[in-house]
Amino acid sequence: MAGRGRPLFGEQTRFMLLLITPAALLLTLFQVVPIAIGANASFRDWALYNPKKTWVGLAHYEAVLSDPEFLWVVLPNTFIFMILSVAGALVLGLALALLLNRPFAGQKIVQTVLLVPLMVAPVIAAIMMRWMFNDQFGIVNAVLEGLGLDGQPWLVERWTAFGVIVMTDIWLWTPWYTLLLLAGLQSLPREPFEAAAIDGTSTWRVFTHLTLPMLRSVIVVCVVIRAIDAFRTFDIVWTLTGGGPGRSTELFSLYAYVLAFLTLDFGRGSAAAIIGGLIILVVGAVLYRVVDRIARA
Amino acid sequence: MAMVKEPLLFARLPLNARRALFGLVLFAICFLFAFPVLWLILTSLRPESGVYYVHRGTEFTLGNFVEVFHDDRVVEAFANSALIATLATVFSLLVTVSSGYMLSRFQGPAARTWFGTIYVFRCVPYISWVLPLYFVAQSWGLYDTYLGLLLPHIAVHICFFSWLMKGFFDGIDPSMEYAALIDGCTRWGAFIRVALPSAIPAIAALGVLCWLFTWNEFLFALILTGNRVPVITVVMAQFVTEMGMRWNLMAATAVMALLPAFLLALFGQKYVIRGLRL
Repeated sequence: MAGRGRPLFGEQTRFMLLLITPAALLLTLFQVVPIAIGANASFRDWALYNPKKTWVGLAHYEAVLSDPEFLWVVLPNTFIFMILSVAGALVLGLALALLLNRPFAGQKIVQTVLLVPLMVAPVIAAIMMRWMFNDQFGIVNAVLEGLGLDGQPWLVERWTAFGVIVMTDIWLWTPWYTLLLLAGLQSLPREPFEAAAIDGTSTWRVFTHLTLPMLRSVIVVCVVIRAIDAFRTFDIVWTLTGGGPGRSTELFSLYAYVLAFLTLDFGRGSAAAIIGGLIILVVGAVLYRVVDRIARA
Repeated sequence: MAMVKEPLLFARLPLNARRALFGLVLFAICFLFAFPVLWLILTSLRPESGVYYVHRGTEFTLGNFVEVFHDDRVVEAFANSALIATLATVFSLLVTVSSGYMLSRFQGPAARTWFGTIYVFRCVPYISWVLPLYFVAQSWGLYDTYLGLLLPHIAVHICFFSWLMKGFFDGIDPSMEYAALIDGCTRWGAFIRVALPSAIPAIAALGVLCWLFTWNEFLFALILTGNRVPVITVVMAQFVTEMGMRWNLMAATAVMALLPAFLLALFGQKYVIRGLRL
């Protein structure tokens, strides 16, 4: 199979294949096989309580794609969530990385505190936020009332609930950006910055003309990876609102889960999961090009 | 942003005032970042009578923690989560370190195909394969068993970790391995005795990440387990919906669930930061 390799390892195909066999086996059994089963189920009448498994062609896909709930609530929610969460965490993460990039007293402590959300499980983060934004007893409303403002029923109205979800996600993921961007900042060459300092260039110009372009590749990787992850967010929505009020804060993963395990229509749930998978593949590819082009310009 | 503009806006202020302002901004940011966790800890220390007005009153108690530990299901969930996270970390490292080594040291069609496969599967949303995984687990008799939860947890990290491990091994000069081979070492010997020891910082970083990811994971456990294998994230999510009013107990459970992750991250932080920088 692999005829050419580096000189000494050239003929060692058996060694090479042995190295990847366990990984390939697990990947096949627990990802490839399920995806094949899901693809198969998406064309069949497959209710969880009554799996007749008769062929229905594209009926499930048509049903999902013509479901107003999917088209006008779930898809917009998913994309708005993706954009706000990625943009918010990127800006915040970059600001914090810049902050940590220059030495000051107590820098280590600040860094540790800022990395705290990294260790918090999304489910726990959602529980904390749910408690803080509780409309009767939450601290947020208590503070608002203390300031003489009206408390809000945060999780009972669509857009405030959605805002809390986005905020939780930004809080959870900002440290990732900080960590990766800080690593990027610290590996930048010093000379251009020293030259700019001698020329008396303003801080803002140094940032837009030197720092940003040089961080381009790190930013592209961060945005693409996080956008793909944001698209499949499940835990925090499930725990914070359960998709409610009504179904107004459902994201794509939750929609597929609800179809399969609460509506018990495994066929249609699989169709929704596959549609989502295809969308994210396209989005991922497009995003990579767009972000890369913006970063180049 | 504030930091970037600060010299522009405050250049005329005396140095001391600028320092104080900088410190104030720093403190505010740290406070906002840590606040949710601090609030959770504070809530977990309040007695049931005081929990609805956490910000008033000064009664504190450890009773919530005692009560949580009298709940068998919670204790079992903690034990299960720890067991599965530890086993998943060990096996996941075994599998991905060798796969990453292969990606780094070999070229040619086999390595390219494997890399392409990994890249594509990294992008597939969890839900697309976890939904049908429910059926796979049921038909193989793995539903609601330790093995049925452990194996997908190993499988899920193959793509990301193999990719990271490839990067780590790329940063390690292979000439030592060539030398070992010339000296009569077998290929496995060169891999295990020469390459592995120099990759230990990276492997430690991945180990920390893998343990945290598995401990924090929710969707697999929600779909693949019923009542026999409770794990901590699922038990807590059930708390929210079933006993939503007992916030002091919930907070105590959440604090307990945060603790191992915190300890691990505290001691593992330097490995992760060093490992990710490679």
